[in-house]
Amino acid sequence: MTAVTPHQPEDLNDLSDEAFRQHIRQWIEANYPPELRNPPKRLHWSENQVWYFKLAEQGWLCPSWPREHGGMGLSAGKQIIMVEEYERHGVARTNDHGILMVGPLLIAHGTQDQRDFFLPKILAGEHIWCQGYSEPNAGSDLASLRTEAVADGDDWIINGSKIWTTLANDANWIFLLVRTDKTAKKQEGITFLLVPMDTPGITVRPIWTIDLHDEFCEVFFENVRVPQKWTVGAVNQGWTMAKALLGHERIYLGSAKLSQYALDRLKTLADRMGVAEDPDFIDRYTRLKLEIADLKSLHATYVDVVRRGEELGPDVSMLKVIQTELFQKITDTMMEVAGENAALLEPMEGNRELNPSGLFLQARPSTIYGGSNEIQRNILAKNVLRLPG
Amino acid sequence: MSAASSDDRAESVRLIRDSAAGLAPRTGDLRRIRALRFEDPGFDRAVWKQMCEMGWPGLRLPEEAGGSALGMAEYCAIAEEVGAALAPEPLVSATMAARALAGTPHATAILTGERLILPAWQERPNTLDTRGDTTTAGGTANGRKIFIPQAAGADAFLVSGKDGLALVERDAPGVTLTTERTQDGGNFGTLSLENAPCTPVPGDLTEALEEAALATAASLLGVMDRVFTMTVDYLKTRVQFGKPIGSFQALQHRAADLKIQVSLSRASVESVAAALDNGLTGPARLAAISRAKARASDSGMLVCRQAIQLHGGIGYTDEADPGLFLRKAMVLCNLYGSATLHRTRFATLAVDSDEG
Repeated sequence: MTAVTPHQPEDLNDLSDEAFRQHIRQWIEANYPPELRNPPKRLHWSENQVWYFKLAEQGWLCPSWPREHGGMGLSAGKQIIMVEEYERHGVARTNDHGILMVGPLLIAHGTQDQRDFFLPKILAGEHIWCQGYSEPNAGSDLASLRTEAVADGDDWIINGSKIWTTLANDANWIFLLVRTDKTAKKQEGITFLLVPMDTPGITVRPIWTIDLHDEFCEVFFENVRVPQKWTVGAVNQGWTMAKALLGHERIYLGSAKLSQYALDRLKTLADRMGVAEDPDFIDRYTRLKLEIADLKSLHATYVDVVRRGEELGPDVSMLKVIQTELFQKITDTMMEVAGENAALLEPMEGNRELNPSGLFLQARPSTIYGGSNEIQRNILAKNVLRLPG
Repeated sequence: MSAASSDDRAESVRLIRDSAAGLAPRTGDLRRIRALRFEDPGFDRAVWKQMCEMGWPGLRLPEEAGGSALGMAEYCAIAEEVGAALAPEPLVSATMAARALAGTPHATAILTGERLILPAWQERPNTLDTRGDTTTAGGTANGRKIFIPQAAGADAFLVSGKDGLALVERDAPGVTLTTERTQDGGNFGTLSLENAPCTPVPGDLTEALEEAALATAASLLGVMDRVFTMTVDYLKTRVQFGKPIGSFQALQHRAADLKIQVSLSRASVESVAAALDNGLTGPARLAAISRAKARASDSGMLVCRQAIQLHGGIGYTDEADPGLFLRKAMVLCNLYGSATLHRTRFATLAVDSDEG
């Protein structure tokens, strides 16, 4: 993998929010590859590395990391502005597990050696990470995972398999939750390990999704030997760290970005199909538009919590439920508006903006991944409403 | 249709269903379907020939025209089995052509499987208008037809237009066929005719199109019925948190709601087929067909979407089967009229019978 020399950026915290926003916006508009705006599918490393390297060279790859570790050290408020500007421009996600998960994990719980070794390689685009959490029999019930690591001298020997590993086929490192104590309560025998993907005994099998994309993989481990020095935190203490890392995911998944994008495409489609002025369509469109507006208002209250530097409560699960079901409802409407075009495998008329069936299929897993909506409703019922049972 | 007792009819439908099991199995793996996907012509001509030998495209044709003169109940039963099997062979559209051409040698060629003639009737999305702007006067065809299912495998097209029906050979001069792949692995053809030679034939497609709409509702019923059965099985076997996920009440209620949708769809399709066989005519007939297609389109999509959700991550993969059913529903739901189109038509017909 080619890598770049990252640049330590100036401290942008002193800018006013508005000046910061303009600064970010101008740079994105000048530097983001136009052909990568609003891609219909999650991009692979071969496609998004050009942007990863641009961010790395600018020193903007890791907004949340402290400056002494090569990040931007941005306040929570400015990080949010940055995300808003990315979303506004339709900037695609990169292979960002190192940036979002491994970096913050090591900064909080890693050893000095681990930080010195891994952080620069993430900043340089030399290490591309993927996340090995779910297993075939541990999906919603993640804590029942069975991939195990057995100590052998200074090494761990890993056996088992992971599934739904996003972009594992691009990654050269994986962070893993493994079982290291089979006798303990299920949450208490789990350890966090870092593993190079080129270790003998690891095989990766892409899983083709319903929209015929190889975004996810299955990763198999057969007597995979890795040094124990790549254990993060204490042995059998992996679960707490992993859960903390997932916390921010729900606010990200609750952003109205996908719904807003889909609603804009619904309008494009209705114009093309000649129904945009029908009273029935106007009513349905407006209903969806108002739902987005209300979601944005609710989302903003959570953003304020983050901006104040406070912890998000379990009620943030609401955002994920609302956003993903709204996204699906909008694409369901697209299928109805598209008429016979809803059957097509490729975008209509070769126009990526007219892709009802593609967006419809893309919306399907959003209520499943990141903790299914059934699990989010359980969280709301049990941890927010404190209902019995 | 002779006036048979309802017991005889039920037996006739049961027999026809059983006869479908070999060519359009409701159970078992979907290897055949997967192997044919996204490859031209999108279906298996040899299997189509066997379906012809079983008399499927001739079910609705009179005996003197080489058909078996059966009713819509029997036709819908076969169409449901074809839907449940996800069979890609173009039964409904070929039947539509055979029906319009009944009594001519062209119909015989379709019924034997010797030639596949597919109707090319549509000129814009969201319509049931078979006329359009295409002209075929003087043995010369000009116009453009779209959304022709499985067109990649057709030998000829039955083209409708201002001047009535005409046959156009696929490889005739002035004929351009382009195809786009569909989500179920088949294709939609676009037929462009520029001074193409054609053979005018009598008749029109209006009645055949209505039957195609109801048969498609039946196919959607087959799709949703089978994927629902698979989903209930999965709820009983998939274990999380130490028990089958079907033991969680939230999922039990969702499964119960889907059962209601499947039952409503079956009642709708079967009662409309029976009403047609009992001689329902006029606006009430069209309204009844619209009721069934609107229900089957909406419920078919709902059941398939929920089948994915209830299967969780595996449901979202291409290697698991629920997705194949969703993709079939994506193709069938708006074919021969979307739910919206049929509801609008129902409202416009303003009939004051039971269908009103």
